[in-house]
Amino acid sequence: MNPIFDQQLALNRRQFFGSTGIRLGGVALGMNAASSLLAQEAADPTRMHPPLPGFPNFAPKALNVIYLHMNGGPAQVDLWDHKPKLAEYYDKDLPDSIRMGQRITTMTSGQTRLPVAPSMFKFSQHGQCGTWVSELMPHTAKCVDDIAVVKTVHTNAINHDPACTFVMTGSEVPGKPSLGSWLSYGLGSVSNDLPGFVVLTPTWKSGAAAQALFTRMWSSGFLSSKYTGVALRHVGDPVLYVQNPPGVSSQNRRAMLDTLSELNRRTLEQFGDPETLTRMAQYEMAFRMQTSVPDLTDLKQETAATLDMYGPDVTKPGTFAASALLARRLVERGVRAVQILHRGWDQHGNLPRDLRSQCEDTDQPIGALLTDLKQRGMLDKTLVVWGGEFGRTIYSQGTLTKDNYGRDHHPRNFCMWLAGGGIKGGQVYGETDDFSYNVVQNPVHINDLNATMLHCLGIDHERFTVKFQGLDQRLTGVEGPKIIKELLA
Amino acid sequence: MIVAFASLGIRWVAEVHAANPEVSFNRDVRPILADKCFHCHGPAAQTRKAELRLDTAEGVFQGKTPVVIPGQPNESLLIKRIHSTDESEVMPPHDSNKTLTAEQKETLKRWVEQGAKYQKHWAFEPISKVAAPEIAGVTHPVDQFLNARLQQLGLSAQPEANRETLIRRVALTLTGLTPTIKEIDEYLADQNPGAYERMIDRYLASARYGEEMAKHWLDVARYADTHGLHLDNERQMWAYRDWVIRAFNENLPFDQFTVWQVAGDLLPNPTRDQLVATGFNRCNVTTSEGGAIPEEFVYRYAVDRTTAVSQAWLGLTAGCAVCHDHKYDPLTTKEFYSLYAFFNNAADPAMDGNTNITAPFLKLPDPKQMAAASGASKVERDAREWLETISTDTSYSDPAESKSPLGRKPIHDILVDDAYPIGATSRSSSRNPIDWMTDPAFKAASGRRLIRQAFASSYNDEIELKLRPVVVPHEATIEVYVMVDAVDTPTSVAFGATNGKTVTWRKTDQGLVRDGTNPSPIVPGQWNKLTVSSVDVGLNPGQRLNGIKLSQTGGIAYWDAVSLSGQTDPATDPLESLTAWRKSLGTNIPPELPGELNALIQGGPEKVLSADETAKLRRFYLAVIARPVNDEIASARIAWETSRISRIIAEETAPGTFIFKDTDKPRESFIMVRGQYDKKGDPVEPAVPAVLPPIAKSTPEARLNRLDLAKWLVTPENPLPARVTVNRLWQQVFGTGLVKTSYDFGTQGENPSHPELLDWLANQYRENGWDTKKLLKLLLTSDAFRRQGKLMPDVKVADPHNRLYARGPRIRLDAEQVRDNVLFTSGLIDLTMGGRGVKPYQPANIWEPVGYSDSNTRFYMQDHGSSLYRRSVYAFLKRTAPPPFMSNFDAPNREQVCTVRERSNTPLQALQLMNDVQHFEAARALAERVLIDGGKTTDERLTYLYRTVLSRTPTTDETSLLTASLQKQTTLFTANPDAAKKVVNVGESKPKNVAPEIETAAWTMLANLVLNTDETLNRN
Repeated sequence: MNPIFDQQLALNRRQFFGSTGIRLGGVALGMNAASSLLAQEAADPTRMHPPLPGFPNFAPKALNVIYLHMNGGPAQVDLWDHKPKLAEYYDKDLPDSIRMGQRITTMTSGQTRLPVAPSMFKFSQHGQCGTWVSELMPHTAKCVDDIAVVKTVHTNAINHDPACTFVMTGSEVPGKPSLGSWLSYGLGSVSNDLPGFVVLTPTWKSGAAAQALFTRMWSSGFLSSKYTGVALRHVGDPVLYVQNPPGVSSQNRRAMLDTLSELNRRTLEQFGDPETLTRMAQYEMAFRMQTSVPDLTDLKQETAATLDMYGPDVTKPGTFAASALLARRLVERGVRAVQILHRGWDQHGNLPRDLRSQCEDTDQPIGALLTDLKQRGMLDKTLVVWGGEFGRTIYSQGTLTKDNYGRDHHPRNFCMWLAGGGIKGGQVYGETDDFSYNVVQNPVHINDLNATMLHCLGIDHERFTVKFQGLDQRLTGVEGPKIIKELLA
Repeated sequence: MIVAFASLGIRWVAEVHAANPEVSFNRDVRPILADKCFHCHGPAAQTRKAELRLDTAEGVFQGKTPVVIPGQPNESLLIKRIHSTDESEVMPPHDSNKTLTAEQKETLKRWVEQGAKYQKHWAFEPISKVAAPEIAGVTHPVDQFLNARLQQLGLSAQPEANRETLIRRVALTLTGLTPTIKEIDEYLADQNPGAYERMIDRYLASARYGEEMAKHWLDVARYADTHGLHLDNERQMWAYRDWVIRAFNENLPFDQFTVWQVAGDLLPNPTRDQLVATGFNRCNVTTSEGGAIPEEFVYRYAVDRTTAVSQAWLGLTAGCAVCHDHKYDPLTTKEFYSLYAFFNNAADPAMDGNTNITAPFLKLPDPKQMAAASGASKVERDAREWLETISTDTSYSDPAESKSPLGRKPIHDILVDDAYPIGATSRSSSRNPIDWMTDPAFKAASGRRLIRQAFASSYNDEIELKLRPVVVPHEATIEVYVMVDAVDTPTSVAFGATNGKTVTWRKTDQGLVRDGTNPSPIVPGQWNKLTVSSVDVGLNPGQRLNGIKLSQTGGIAYWDAVSLSGQTDPATDPLESLTAWRKSLGTNIPPELPGELNALIQGGPEKVLSADETAKLRRFYLAVIARPVNDEIASARIAWETSRISRIIAEETAPGTFIFKDTDKPRESFIMVRGQYDKKGDPVEPAVPAVLPPIAKSTPEARLNRLDLAKWLVTPENPLPARVTVNRLWQQVFGTGLVKTSYDFGTQGENPSHPELLDWLANQYRENGWDTKKLLKLLLTSDAFRRQGKLMPDVKVADPHNRLYARGPRIRLDAEQVRDNVLFTSGLIDLTMGGRGVKPYQPANIWEPVGYSDSNTRFYMQDHGSSLYRRSVYAFLKRTAPPPFMSNFDAPNREQVCTVRERSNTPLQALQLMNDVQHFEAARALAERVLIDGGKTTDERLTYLYRTVLSRTPTTDETSLLTASLQKQTTLFTANPDAAKKVVNVGESKPKNVAPEIETAAWTMLANLVLNTDETLNRN
């Protein structure tokens, strides 16, 4: 063999892998201790997605993350933040002592009144822990013993675009890497046949209008674009261009690739450019993805019991139910970060009708996902996160009636929850005032929450920096975010 | 000599090991101070400890206690403290997590020993006048600088690459396209001296040059076709993009290129181009999100513009100083907001309105359109005057005042054709103005214009008839012409009254058929007359028809010539009776009512008018509103309407673009505490950072403005813009800048690999009148550029990233180049320049899953025909969901300034290049070219294929590999002819049937193979 080629091979071991690239199934994941597995990952020279040296920084509790982003701002008072005393305040003005002159959006700042709209949904206590859950989420309610609800999340922005950008990248201004990109950059990913960070954007049922998503919510910002989330699609190819063009068979492709590899090997000898070798590996991975992606999305491999658990929509591509099941299958195959971005949670009006429909879309699949992960022994290695970009106001936007109301944006407190790897379930953290308008105890900033998540994944958020534009950039910002110890198992 | 390379970047420490080495402050000392000390002893006042700063000479030598005494390290506090063994004394302190190596301590000590010569950060020092070092046998100044370093390090340079390699390298660098076989032959045949230079000149003169150059600049300018935030609707400013291309092609000197973009609007009597150029500062992302707080966004836009100008021309990452004094660079928060004060007077609104014409907006009629508009205006004025004149004396009796009942009168009114009727308003749910199309190739149903609906989503256009109200006659029929696109056929079209119902034609197996009936369907691709009754639109005779509504869902529809017929009651018809007209207007002032009549109408229909007032009202009514009461008025009315429409066509068909202007009165600017829009600190005036040369005022008493700033950028005293710009040009040519961090010339950026060369080039550029083509030619004629790209083992260890230029640059093609070359070599390309962004092939569901429900860029409506094959610089760029062919290959989404692109290497790229329809269709077209023009034998054809794509002939070895591959593919397709048929029919262009399908299919796979080689994807 050519000496330059040999040298390249040695230099590029981290990028190169042969046809014997490792595969780790869910069983292996479930059985290995997280830390030893990660040590093993780091040492493996055939990794397509190697971790940074020194990562994880310490033994992680969770190996993967599934982030369920409810885009638009779910109303915390109708879902998790139970305020039984509010019934008597129905249609009374929000007291100034509560509002305290805080800014509100220009959608309601012109309203003559800010009438209190108590939730019209019933709450009841669930699980051994007795967490209060709205009647809209009967399936999630069954899992509350695994869930830590945080009632006091707060954020900086009051409008969708900056708030979404903030919750996903830690910055309101576009251009920073998303959470999933940070993770696949730092921790790499186990699967050699699939990307390290996968995004799903399912359909939604409620009312016609929904807020926009932005590819910056899963883009790599100033990190290499190889850390950008790959959107798994339900229309056309599941991964862009994964299918051969019409008439081109796998044999045609293999024949083409065999010659390509020969030609590229000559180019490598001629120029000695390590990138050539990387490209050869990427074409082989592309070829493997042509098999691994259809295999991933083939739900026929699932048992009827599993499919039933996720509900009737699970067999319809592109639904939230199908996405939730795919999330499990992705994590099972060693994909580091999975994000589901579900739209339609922006209930400025007709909240009772539309929120019900949003929950019908998502509740059963979420309950199923948690149960499914648990049954397979994966939940304690998988961090599951649920939440939107902000919450909603206690006062009604537009006309308030007994059976209808709307709610405006509310960044001052809202609910998110975490479950699985590293999280102490069965608890509710933080307290808000009687109007769910202000945090009264244990505020949790988005940066705190992100720091806590990184901690579960074995990353010291303070050391996880990249120099860009003269600053040590962090996902968690520079204002001293804190890990919320009480949330940790 | 021992050569050592720091793991980060390229800091030479070679000299440190030599005997009695001279320590250079900027090269050796400053990096240590910046990294280890500036955090607490640097520019940021808020975090400064012990009132000590080490980032200025004053701080070091003249502080409360001077910490350095030149020549006396043992007496210098700085040296004592870094060597201290006392935990409470040692610097940097333990809790800072920063430590100095022994070598760093030694460097600092020796610096003091040698006299502690202090320098400003290198980039802020004036550009030095350096001469190229003399080196035997080397004449090109660039090589003199580079070879000096190579010799110093004992590395040998590669020989010159062969001519085929060179022409491909030059063509790709200057035009973004590979050379044609004809161009290669011409160059190979030219054996005279200067052949290489002449070849460069040909590419510099090509119109493709401006497109390639613009691609780089548009990244810096953050140009895109949508607003970027929230709805991310379309914006119209491609004229700016086209201007950039033209400016490069015309080689506009870079100093003017600068001034026009930063402050073209403030130049005396600015030309149109100077105004279009100000679009640079309208390229920032904007919002119109409901509920957004205007002050916040006015603030953000100004910050964005300040940051963009700082990055583009000063190479400074001013963004940090938005919130706090820059920790490392000498830019204070106050200085940032003083720069911001130049841009804080922008006249554009906080909310962009989700429209494509957000003001300030400049219409750009061409000379013909301008002449037509002014000619038509004059004719229109004269015609209107004549109409009013003859109306004055026309006898008229109001039917409402008639004693005897009048019978019904047949009418046929054109409601809308070629333009809105006078005094109408319009609204499109696309939020843009209604899309009028003039003189289409397929001809309007009536006149010259029609209304186009092509956003794919469901949306409505509404035209409200206000000044000339319409009352539904008896036996009314409303007619309209519709044409639906044969390819993008809508799923439904609908037509009706804005205050009534609409009638819908919906897609069925028989085509688009009217709801509830079974008449003949709408025939796609031709005009269809639709007729509805007043009952159909939910209105009764005598009711107002407020306006008409046109809708379509899911495709493209065209509408034309709306008319109304029936039998009217003159006494109650506002177009027959003045009284009825007054009644229907009520007290509202409709659009286009002459000002002198406002008071009369506001008084309401019952207001008693004086004789004079009555005469005025009557004259206007008879001239413009009422159906002509006699033939003279009828013909004068036609003359007026015709000229009015001509004027509107001339004015409206011209495109326009976003330009930058200031508010009449400057906004007050303040330091915004911690970067919060609602926390104003001290007021600031426009000013430039103190570390840079002073700025001159145009007059002593005037407030500094953007024009002063623009001129200051390109003054000879300002060292940054010339350095920053030649560095970016170097980066284009060699792949990496002399300053690798081309976005950061501050202290946290990397030092230049060849500081003297950078300064020499910066001087050349300025002294040659900022002549960009000349500078590029200088770079391209260097030996360094012409070397072979082979990486030798010794160089690989010493210089893996080719920062020493011992070999020629080898870099992966940019996203646009990857796509353009596939189109170009296949012959599919359409080289038309300019215009609205085109929409090439894009997989389904790129826009749709993210687009706001009500956005006009929610549905991607792909173009057809030659627009599919335009160069990528003209492709529509939606910021929140850029086209995969761009983002997969590291093109930025243009949300903010990008001065250098990543070059990633991913499996998604492989999938796209193998399988994307535009790549595979092009492989088919390329295969056909090979079969038509490539000769008869396989060897000849492979040579043609290789020369077309790679500009060289294949080796025997390659030929035999490819021949075997061709045979293998032929065998596979012979066994499956249906597959071959599918292969040759991929894409919208039709196969040319130049060979049997099996043969074309096999060659298609071969073309696909060659287009995917590493060599093809690189500039070698």
